[in-house]
Amino acid sequence: MSGHVALDVQAPPQGAVAVAAASPPAKPGAALAGLVWTLVRTDFKARYHGTLSGFAWALLKPLTMFAVLVGVFSLIFGAERTYKLDLIIGLFLWDFFAEGTKVGLTSLHAKGFLLAKARFPSWILVVTSISNPLLTVVVFAIALTAFLTVTSAGPSAGHLVLFACYVVSLGAIVIGFSLAASVLFLRFRDLNQVWDVVTQAGFFVAPIVYPVGVIPERFHFYLYLWPPTAVIEFSRAVLIDGRPPTPLAHAYLAAMVAGVLAVGALVYASRAPRVAEYV
Amino acid sequence: MSTVLLEAVRISKTFEIPSVRRETVREHFFGLLAPRQIDRLPVLQDVTLTLHQGDTLGVMGRNGSGKSTLLKVLCGIYPADRGEVRVHAGITPILELGVGWNPELDAIDNIFLLGSVMGLSLASIRASLDDILAFAEVERFARLPLKHYSSGMASRLAYAVAFRAVRDVLVLDEIFAVGDAGFRLRCEARYQELHRAGHTMVIVSHDPRVITTFCNRAILLDSGRITAEGAGSEIAERYLAAAMDPDHRPVA
Repeated sequence: MSGHVALDVQAPPQGAVAVAAASPPAKPGAALAGLVWTLVRTDFKARYHGTLSGFAWALLKPLTMFAVLVGVFSLIFGAERTYKLDLIIGLFLWDFFAEGTKVGLTSLHAKGFLLAKARFPSWILVVTSISNPLLTVVVFAIALTAFLTVTSAGPSAGHLVLFACYVVSLGAIVIGFSLAASVLFLRFRDLNQVWDVVTQAGFFVAPIVYPVGVIPERFHFYLYLWPPTAVIEFSRAVLIDGRPPTPLAHAYLAAMVAGVLAVGALVYASRAPRVAEYV
Repeated sequence: MSTVLLEAVRISKTFEIPSVRRETVREHFFGLLAPRQIDRLPVLQDVTLTLHQGDTLGVMGRNGSGKSTLLKVLCGIYPADRGEVRVHAGITPILELGVGWNPELDAIDNIFLLGSVMGLSLASIRASLDDILAFAEVERFARLPLKHYSSGMASRLAYAVAFRAVRDVLVLDEIFAVGDAGFRLRCEARYQELHRAGHTMVIVSHDPRVITTFCNRAILLDSGRITAEGAGSEIAERYLAAAMDPDHRPVA
């Protein structure tokens, strides 16, 4: 069935402006792409509205933060190049995880006003919510690669590809968590506060400020149950140490990503049909 | 017989109303030992209707009779608890448009947001921007954040976008109750234009004139049930009679 009937614009009532003609609905793929782009664009615009440099701040923020951390840590840990870089990698990946899960958790509630307007795949609201933290970590990755290349031999192309895979894995974990948490948040409105406490504790569970080696090996298994741990450690291994993890370690990360995504999608699918009733 | 575009078969919908609302993890945790009563409020009960191409179906009923819920179930925004909605055409819901903008964004960004949610391509939104702003009479405030708009301006803008995104079936909630007289005239003109073009309409209204003028048939809802079905004018009269009857009690 045709989705549109061509219209003749009729003479408007006296004193009224011309009545707008209808626009044809977009093809499903184009509509989805347009919706994703609009959500991402407006999200950035709302977030950086009123800042001195507007959109540019989205790029400048991770760059300035990277420069500040390199400068400060060079002063504090001047002789400890590896530790300094490990710390910076850990902080940026952690920031992506913490910020991504934070905005993902409240994404359906924050854009709930759209859910009552029309029927559309609401998971798009969740997935697009991580665009800003994702841009931050991508800019950081570029800055870090440039820094490593200038100050040393820099990581090989293969290792950079692996690092990109780890960032994608972390993004998938964030999306999996956000899918489940965003629908649960509509029923449990203090879930964001609970998650704040969890992430504060999780910051110290992940080996960000300490090397994983200071923890007795028998506890490493538990550390790696916390998703950011594997991504941070694997990223350090390829970028700083130049030694990629074993295939078994990669299989573990892949299984964790698949597991978090699957659980997130299942929880989401079970509750998504009724989200409009709870926003 | 013209093409069937939408069928609702014995749809029912019930909302659960707890005696004590628990909306947080803390409230649920501490409420584990304090059982609460859950009342079940049936808002739609065995509603069956069929829409053919070109139909204009009016829906009348007192507040709380289930009109808005019916529209949301027909549009797929709410799922039905029982029964089935069979959709054979694209639906454009024009519901609750007066609220729910991103207040930090200006009119143009909100037009893109709402337009893309309603299925318009970016190219067609761009091409329609001037017309949409003109229809809503907010051209001068196109770059003003929506938080500075009056509720009437925001509603006009929402209707202007929705009237651009029309598909085969339009579902309209109190469409002619927004804005001043001039805007209502434009909405009515737009409605008639779409009707002449063959679009199918479902209209909820409390206004007997709207149902009589614009609907070839109508239903009367009472406590989630269809209690009368007939010509628009006939249902408008029955609605008025029920509304003016001091002894009227909602059906069980």
